[in-house]
Parts: sequence; C-alpha cells; structure tokens
Amino acid sequence: MGKDGLEITLNIVKMLVIFLVMVQLVPVLVWLERRVSAFMQNRFGPNRVGPLGLIQLLADAVKFLFKEPFFPEKGMAVMYYGAPIMALIPGALALAAIPLGTPFHLEEADWNLFGFIPLGHHPAYDFILQGYDFGVGIVIVLGVSSLGAYSLLMAGWGSSNKYSLLGALRASAQMVSYELALGLSLVGILMVFNTFSFYDIVAQQNPANPLTFNFLGTVHTMPWWIPNWGIFYNPLGALIFFCASFAETNRLPFDLPEAEGELVAGFHTEYGGFALLMFYIGEYGHMMVASALMATFYFGGYTIPYVSNEAVATFVSNTHHFLGAFDLSIHSNWAAFVTSLCFFVSMLVKILFFLLIFIWVRWTLPRFRYDQLMDLGWKTMLPWALFNTCLTAVWLAISHKPV
Amino acid sequence: MSALLAFLIFVGILAAFGGFLIVLSSSLGPRPKPNPAKNMPYESGVAGTETNESRISVKFYLTAILFIIFDIEIIFMYPWAVSFMDFVKSGQGMYILGAMGIFILLFVVGLIWEVKSKALDWNN
Amino acid sequence: MLSSQDFLFYFLGALSLIFGLGVVLYRNPIYSALCLVITMISVAGIFATLDAWFIAGVQLIVYAGAVTVLFVMVLMLFDLKHEMKTFSKGVIGNGVKLASSGVLLGMFSTYIWATYATEPTFKPMAAGATSSIKATKDLATSLFTSYLFAFEVIGLLLLVIAVGAVTLSRITGGTHHHAD
Repeated sequence: MGKDGLEITLNIVKMLVIFLVMVQLVPVLVWLERRVSAFMQNRFGPNRVGPLGLIQLLADAVKFLFKEPFFPEKGMAVMYYGAPIMALIPGALALAAIPLGTPFHLEEADWNLFGFIPLGHHPAYDFILQGYDFGVGIVIVLGVSSLGAYSLLMAGWGSSNKYSLLGALRASAQMVSYELALGLSLVGILMVFNTFSFYDIVAQQNPANPLTFNFLGTVHTMPWWIPNWGIFYNPLGALIFFCASFAETNRLPFDLPEAEGELVAGFHTEYGGFALLMFYIGEYGHMMVASALMATFYFGGYTIPYVSNEAVATFVSNTHHFLGAFDLSIHSNWAAFVTSLCFFVSMLVKILFFLLIFIWVRWTLPRFRYDQLMDLGWKTMLPWALFNTCLTAVWLAISHKPV
Repeated sequence: MSALLAFLIFVGILAAFGGFLIVLSSSLGPRPKPNPAKNMPYESGVAGTETNESRISVKFYLTAILFIIFDIEIIFMYPWAVSFMDFVKSGQGMYILGAMGIFILLFVVGLIWEVKSKALDWNN
Repeated sequence: MLSSQDFLFYFLGALSLIFGLGVVLYRNPIYSALCLVITMISVAGIFATLDAWFIAGVQLIVYAGAVTVLFVMVLMLFDLKHEMKTFSKGVIGNGVKLASSGVLLGMFSTYIWATYATEPTFKPMAAGATSSIKATKDLATSLFTSYLFAFEVIGLLLLVIAVGAVTLSRITGGTHHHAD
C-alpha cells in the first residue's frame, strides 16, 4: 500500500486545499457582493474595516462565532445541526471533481528547499489539479449536487416551525425542478464532445485549433478571432444551463425560499450564529461549482484563449532556459508547475467572471413569484432544453453523415 | 480505488470539520438563556396559532414524482449522448436517432399531458 | 494490512448494513428515510468499487438525489404522530421481527452456502479513467442494439407512471381516516 498510500494522502491534501480555498473565497465573494451591490445602488459598501473594507468579513465571522447558540424548543438536534454540515458537503465535493489546470508531470527528483536543504525523494508522478478523477466527470458532479436538497429539508424539519417547513419544501421543490433543465441542457454539449471526462472536453476546446463546423463533408473554418469554445456549438444549451444554475443555487431571481419579507427567511429562519454562515458557505460553494462547470463546458475550461497550450509550455521553458543562462538553475519540475499555474490563473479568471455575473444579476432583476418560478422550470426551460437536444442531435446526424 | 478511498476520507473530514465548527460556535458563545418569547417558533413576532392542521399541498408530492420520472429519462439520454457520434460516424445515425426519437416522443407526450392536465399549476 | 479494495468493500458493506438496519428499526419515519439516504450512497460506493462509475453516479442522481428526496418530502407532509403510534412494540412484535429476519438470513446463507462451489466469474475491468467512458459507450451500444425493445418499453412505463401518479393525487377523500 506504499504507492497507494502516497496517492491517497496526496488526494486528500489536494481536496482539503480545494475545500479551504472554497471556504476562504466565500468572504471575498461576500465582500465583492456587498461592494458591487453598493456600487449599483449608488452608495458605499463596507470600506472602513481594513483596506477597502476587506477585513469586514473576518470581523463578521468572528462576531458570528461569539453569538449565543440557539436551539428551537421543539427542534430535533440531529437534523437541526446536521443541516448546516450537510450544506457544506455537496459544494466541496463537486468543486473537487472539476479540473482547474493542466496535469503536469513531475519527474523523479530530490526535493530541496531553497536549493540546498534536502527534504526527500519523490518518484515520478502525474500531478492533476483535481481532487479526484473518477473518469465519468459530470455524472458524479450532478449526483453530488443533487444531494444539496437534503440540507434544505433537514433544516426545515429540524426547526419545528411550520413556516420553515414550508420554505424548505418550496426550496427543495424548486431545486429539484431545475435539476431537470440542468441535466438536459448538458446532454446537448455531451453530444458535441462525445465524452464525459472533463479533460477530453477541455482538450477539444484547444485554442490551437480554430472553430470548425463540419457540414456534409465540407469543413467551414471560422475566423481566428472567434475562440474554439463550446458555447458556439450549443448556445441555447449554454443559456439554459446558466439560467438553471441560478435556480439550483437558490440565487436571485429564484430567491423566494430564502427571501426576507416572504416566508420570513425560509428554511433558515431559526438559525443564528455560525450555523447560518455555513449555509452561505454552501450556497457560494454551489455558485463556484456552477461557474466552474460553465467555464469548463462552454468557455474552454482552463485554456487561455488565442494562446495554444503548447505556446504556453514553450514560453515557460524559454523563460526557464533564460534563467538557466544566468546560472539560476531551476529544476524542470518547476517549469511544469509554472505552466500549470498559468492555466490555473486563467481558470480562476473565468470563474470570477461568472461569479461577477451571478452577483450582478442578483442586484438587477426582481424576484420571481413561486408559481412563475415553477412554470418557468417545467413549461419553458424543460421543453426548450428538449428542443435543444433534438436540434443538436439532428444537426450532428446530418452534418457528420459519412458520405 | 485510491481515488474512492480519498473521496470517502474527505467526506469524513468535511463532516468532522462541520461538526467542529458547530461545537466551536456553541462553546464560544454566551450561555443560552431561553425564555418563552425566544423559544416560540418564529412567525414575525406574532404569537403562533400552534395548530397542526395545516394541510400542505399535494403539489410537492407531484413535483417530486414527476421529477423522478423525467430524471430517469434524462439519465437514459446520457449514454446515448456520449456514444452518439460513434454511431453517426459508423453510418447508423438515422437508426440511433430513430431509436431515441421514440423515447423522446414518449417524454414529450408525458410532458404535454402533464402541462395540459394542470398537474403542476401552483395557482390553484 | 488490507488492500484498499478490500477495506472499501468491508467499510461500505458495513455502512449499508448498519444504516439499512436503521431504516427498519427507527420509530420516527424521517430518521428512517435519512438512514435510507446513507444506505443508497453506500450502495453507490459499492458500485464504484466494482469499477461501475457511471452506474454509481446514476445511483447517486436517481436514488439518493430523487427517490429518497421524494420520501423525505412526502413524510414531511404527514402528521407523523399517528405513524409513530402504529410502530409495533412489545414482546410479540419484537419476537415476530426477530423470527422473520432470522428466516430471511437463513434463506440467504443457505443459498450462498449451496452455490459456494461455483464462484461467480466476472472480468474485472482495467483501472483508469478511460475505461469508464468505454464502459458507458459499451452500455449505450448494447442498450440500443440488443435491448432496444426493453428500452422503449421503459419509456412507455415511465409515461404510465406519470399519468398514474397525477391521477392518484386527484382522488379526493383520502385513504386514512383523520382522527379529528
């Protein structure tokens, strides 16, 4: 179990890092949300605590930690306390399944700190920027995200408050209805890319190849300034996926179950202190997963547009040789790592872009009424997703028919 | 296998982390001082009616059942989507399209019937 | 020391057994339903140890993410005090439970003992990511060539279920007498 043990430990460490990144990104996102909303409402957001108000969320978290622990009188402890824990799990697991950069190959080397303190010897290893890779990619991500309905239901029932229960039932009914549109809109893009694995999907959106459409044997190549992204193969699917992920994360305009002024505060009425914050960590985690999926399927994943993957690798190795000429010998493992880091930064930029759109839409659009929401899910999005699937299938069958 | 083991250990660590956070916040706060006003289920400050006769609508059950049915149909579309291009490239595109087309037709008939019969109208 | 495959099998098997017992032994139906969720997730894990990653994902999506959500949602619609009162307690009730589970266990062990000589032969698939996609494509191929009729009949069956569920929910009067 030696090599197995190394791999398991490394995977666990990677997943912990991803989880901690998710948890630490939440305060940044909340700060961003408060500043952006303030900007849109023509007022200042938090700008006193720390530079630009960035420490505000740390202060808030510490304040939440010291609040009086509250337990409703007739509540059930297992469900009341289990719900916030259950809220953390699906987001973190789904985020660990999405590749955030290219895998890079570490050669067998001795590991030296600062070049002269020996730390040990590691064998040749393929390091993937992904917590776990089961090979079926999106199916596991969808399966784990659909477990998010339980945190809502447990919170509603464990609070023993009939408005909480009603809010929880409505929230889970909404989440469940939009999972259909979500799953169905992905069928279209899976048909185009012909695989489940995230790596193959991103590899097929390689910027080295221009965007091409096959039609009955003739290949139409699009001009170079249109990137080779999935959204151009399936724009309707991208739109439906994006809108359905708003509803999945209970985010405005699909915000009714947790809106103030409607069912008080919905399923987390009876929560205070840190347990409430854990619900928000879960919600922002889901938002990050939705953004990462959107980036992976429709916007090229971790590739940098207009710059092919090989160009980045040669750029980094040229820099490495350049530095080597000055006798600053950096091991080739570092070159591989820096290459992967460039792609990771590109993926982060794309995820942040979509998170900004999430925040922007929240403070722009008014909220839907519940029956409008359910009508939209069942009578508009599901038929359009089905239409998108059929259209993509027919188009692909006609255009790729071997003549 | 090692990926699955790491996955399970990670779930355990997450649950432990969540439990630790809850225990931490419970122990760091001041002693809970329950009084009758705080213990009542929150209904915007109004004294609750405390009856258990609330008939929650049956539409939740219908939503969940129809979700299961359509979800199973979507799950059947996943292997089809992934192997679609292989069938097309080997010349059997029309066959695979027709086979799934009948299935999608049944899906659409179910959807149309469900919409027409106002099963999921939340207006009632 | 156990290999990771064996450890996973024993751990997931024990998990599904314990929570399966929890399903039948809890008095509160919602606790039973939550134990059922964990049982479904461990069964998905057992599928994964057999390298059936797609089926594991489908088990998570459909069973743990849809069917048990239905159970939990529907259980929340009811007044559960009536259900909890009808849970059988006492010597005769427990005796019947023990006897029937003993009979079931006896049947299973006899069957396993009788067929022990002929071990099941299944080919373990090659480990690695690409085999999962090939396995799914093979599943699709066999579904649309050898089992096409069964596949279409499933579609028809799902339609019948949808119509039946909606019709059943329209029946007024109910099945339980409300003790008002």
